[in-house]
Amino acid sequence: MSEQRENDELTGILARATPLLHDEPVPRAAWREAVLQAAGRAEVPVAWSVRPIVAIAACAACLILGAAITYGVLHDRMERSARDVVASAGGSVRPGHLPVRFAVEAPNAVHVSIVGDFNGWNPAGLPMHLLSDGRTWEVEVGLAPGRYAYAFVVDGRLARDSAAAESGTDDFGVPNSVVLVGGS
Amino acid sequence: MRLTIRSARGALLALGMLCAGARLTVAQSPAEPALPARLGAPAHSAIVAIMDSARAAGLPTTPLAAKAAEGVLKGADDARIVEAVRSLAKALGDARAALGPAADASVLDAGASALRAGVTPAALHSLGEAGAAPSGPAALATALVTLVDFVAKGVPPALASQSIEQLLRLGAPESRFETLRNEVEADIRDGQSPEAAVTSRVKTNVQQLGAPGPPHPPPSPPSVPESTR
Repeated sequence: MSEQRENDELTGILARATPLLHDEPVPRAAWREAVLQAAGRAEVPVAWSVRPIVAIAACAACLILGAAITYGVLHDRMERSARDVVASAGGSVRPGHLPVRFAVEAPNAVHVSIVGDFNGWNPAGLPMHLLSDGRTWEVEVGLAPGRYAYAFVVDGRLARDSAAAESGTDDFGVPNSVVLVGGS
Repeated sequence: MRLTIRSARGALLALGMLCAGARLTVAQSPAEPALPARLGAPAHSAIVAIMDSARAAGLPTTPLAAKAAEGVLKGADDARIVEAVRSLAKALGDARAALGPAADASVLDAGASALRAGVTPAALHSLGEAGAAPSGPAALATALVTLVDFVAKGVPPALASQSIEQLLRLGAPESRFETLRNEVEADIRDGQSPEAAVTSRVKTNVQQLGAPGPPHPPPSPPSVPESTR
C-alpha cells in the first residue's frame, strides 16, 4: 500500500520536473546580450551603467574590511601585550609574575617609555607616566622570575637606569641596565 | 543588469567571507614576534631564515626578534644586527644541546646567557643534570640567572658554576638563589671581593642545606668576560 503511494509521489515529482528540463538555461552574463539579440529581444535600456559604481563599491568595501582587519589584529596584539607585561600597582599580575616598578627622573621630558627583553624592545609598548612631582616617570611591569636587560627611552633617546646594575657591553656597544626578578 | 548586480553581490559576499576567514585565521594563530620595519630586505630575510631554523629546532624565537629590535633601537647597522641574532641563535642551540630537549624557554634563555657569559657547555650540562631533580626547572632557570649575575659581578665562571651546581644538587629552592644573590650583593657593597663573597655565602648555604662542605675553587680560573647583555 505504502509502496504504491511512494510510486505515485515519484510519478508526480517527475511530472512536475520534466518541463524544467525543456526551459532555456540561464545564460552566463557575458553571453546574455548576444543571446538576447539572437532571440530578437533587447535589454531594458538604462541611462547609466552600474558597473563602475559596483566596482567602486566593491573597492570601498574591500578597503573598509582591510582597515577593520588591521585594526582588529593590532588591537588584539596590543591588548595581549598589555595583559602580558603591564600591571597597575596593586592590580592583577599574571600568576608566577611579580610586579616590578621602574622609575626615572626626567623633569623636562615630554615622553618617556621603557624597553627591554620583556617587551621586545618596543619603544611604544610601555609608556611611563609622570608623577605629581613633575620630574619622576614610572611604570609597573609584571615580570616572571629571570634576568632582564632594559633601558629607558627619553624623548627618543636611550638612557640607562642609574639605580640599576649595568649589563657591561652588549652586542651593539651600548650597555643596558639589568634587573633580576624574584625566584621566591 | 540583474545578472551584473547579482554577480557583484556574490563577489562582495565571497570577499566578505574571505576576509572573515582571514581574520579568524590571524586571530587563531599564535602571536609571532614581529621584526622591525627599519631592517633592510637582505637583513630581514637573513633574520627570518635564522628564526625559521630556530623554530624548526624547537628553540624560542622571541629572544631573536627582541635582539633584532634592540639593535634597530640602538642604531646598529644591519650586518651587526644579523650577526647578533645569529650569535644568540647559536647560543640558544648550544644551550639546548647542553640542557637537553626538556629545557623550557626560560631555562634555554638563561642557559644561553650563561654560555655567552663564559660558562662552558660541559659546566652547563652538569648544571642541567643537577637541576633536573629535585629542584625542578623553575629553580634551574633562577639558578642560571644567579650564575650569570655572579659572573657579571666578576666571579670566575668556573667557581660560579661549581657553587651553583652544588646548591642545585642539594635541592636548593628558587628562594634560596634569590637570597644568595642579595647576600652576595650586600657583601660586595661592604667591600668584599665578588669571589670571596660567593665562596663564603655558598659555604653557609651548603651547611644550612646539610651538605658536607663548600665547593673547591678551580685551580686556574679563566679570565672573566664581560656580560653579553
